[in-house]
Amino acid sequence: MSAASTVRAIVVRDLSRAARQRSRLLGGLVRPFMWLLLVGTGYNAIAHVEGAVSYRAYVFPGMVVMASLFGAMLTAISTVYDREFGMLRLMLASPAGVPTILAGRALAATFVGALQGAVVLLCLPLVASVTPGQGIGACAALMLSAATSSVLGLLVAAPLRSVENFAGVINIVLFPLLFLSGALYPTGRMPAALGVLARINPVSYMVDLMRHALGQPTEFGITVSLTVLLATTVVAFMLTTVIFDPEQRFTARQQTARS
Amino acid sequence: MIASAPAIETIGLGRDYGRTRALDALDLTVDRGTLVGILGPNGAGKTTAMLLLATLLRPSRGRAIIFGRDSVGERAAVRRHLGLVFQEASIDGLLTVEENLRFAAGLMGLGGPVAQRAVAATLERMGLVAKASQPARQLSGGWRRLTDIARATVHAPDLLILDEPTVGLDPEHRDRIWTLLDTERRDRGTTILFSTHYLTEAESCDRVILLAHGRVVAADTPPALMGAIGSEVVEIEGAGAEDAARALQAVSTECLTVKTDRGYRIGITGAHGDLARTVGATPRITRFAIRPVTLEDVYFAKTGGTEGRPTDAATFTGKTG
Repeated sequence: MSAASTVRAIVVRDLSRAARQRSRLLGGLVRPFMWLLLVGTGYNAIAHVEGAVSYRAYVFPGMVVMASLFGAMLTAISTVYDREFGMLRLMLASPAGVPTILAGRALAATFVGALQGAVVLLCLPLVASVTPGQGIGACAALMLSAATSSVLGLLVAAPLRSVENFAGVINIVLFPLLFLSGALYPTGRMPAALGVLARINPVSYMVDLMRHALGQPTEFGITVSLTVLLATTVVAFMLTTVIFDPEQRFTARQQTARS
Repeated sequence: MIASAPAIETIGLGRDYGRTRALDALDLTVDRGTLVGILGPNGAGKTTAMLLLATLLRPSRGRAIIFGRDSVGERAAVRRHLGLVFQEASIDGLLTVEENLRFAAGLMGLGGPVAQRAVAATLERMGLVAKASQPARQLSGGWRRLTDIARATVHAPDLLILDEPTVGLDPEHRDRIWTLLDTERRDRGTTILFSTHYLTEAESCDRVILLAHGRVVAADTPPALMGAIGSEVVEIEGAGAEDAARALQAVSTECLTVKTDRGYRIGITGAHGDLARTVGATPRITRFAIRPVTLEDVYFAKTGGTEGRPTDAATFTGKTG
């Protein structure tokens, strides 16, 4: 009961914050639509992917994943802001303990990511036909992708000391994860080295699962994608609980104050 | 909670940051329902002591027992009894005052109608009903701090730990906060441990603990601490202050002489008929005053006064009396 109340409090707070940061929410939605309209439309005329109706339809699952990836990871990484501005210590003082606090953050980030992805997913009928079954499958794939993204976001945030690193994370972590995922082109056509990176990139399996749900040609298959994503989520969460140092802010501040 | 145990008991509690010893060994007993102030210069170890008691830092040595429970081994159980107020307010500016309290209640494991009742009662008790639906970022510093204290008390903690709760506030808000804290203590029997640089705030404490360089340098009731300085304090300033202080030592029953940046503070007991004449005969004195002892005198005497000055250089030039 105590842990459930704590998780619920964190989720409600994070969702309230997300709803009130409209520019951030809009920015998160503009990004995939820009790619879809500008890149998708531009390449539609010159690019053809085997088995896909059109390039725009082919790139669509990747854009859904992109929306949820950025939404979930950035919400999870905002833990760094909470650490910097003192809200995290409040959570850490809760009797529920660190794993419960991290679970609450992950769940909140999952909802934010899934909501952003769902807005993009709702536009799918504009570029391709979709059956109700495919829609339900896509929602399930979206939830799992958002969950994995949120936990990866926590893993990235765990060792970060300040918000100054935040912008760098987008360029160094998020964009490479996206470009090496098969969201924009099949990973099978990548050079060998990049192909290896794509195969160890969990986002590749998010995109592949979404393609499977929407009836597009896949590279890994549903069982492999599900297994990789579930395993990544569990392992990343466990790793986060190990490397997350609840004393980090206090010790850093006290050391700074004494130096 | 173990019924007969004191609110806080620490045995050799200490913490290092790397090679720096922030808190050496704190031995302390705080009885239930008491108001205890921790004083000391910046870097004395006050915040470290409070973070250790708040279970947010692990001790490097020693242990802390809160209401009979070990602060490390029984951390979750200890936390249920604690309300924490940090130096900077822990309030989410994007949430309303009421939402901040609901969030805090949830973190402490309160949910549903229980949380609703706790939040409503806290808003009422803290005089925050009119501000309940206001976003916290629109509040002034004083109201933010009140909201922060409301946040820390929403789950009716048995022990409130406050790190400089009134820093930067105007006298009106400081007064309001102390009135509310007194009410918490009186109505609920809450034990309150706080740190402050406003020494007058500590004069109403049941017990004052003075820290310097990570060590307890004095711990007693304010009257006992002030009594050790003398019955009154003579302040002498000016280039000739040292000569005047020496002359005074010869003619008065002096308890303690403290050198400050501006001159000397000399604790005296008994009559002081000849003091004015003695000091008046000394050249280059710009100020001379006799006044009651305050906790500030105790602070200067025991901690060495300004930051970084070693305790023994301090200040003790004589101790008769």
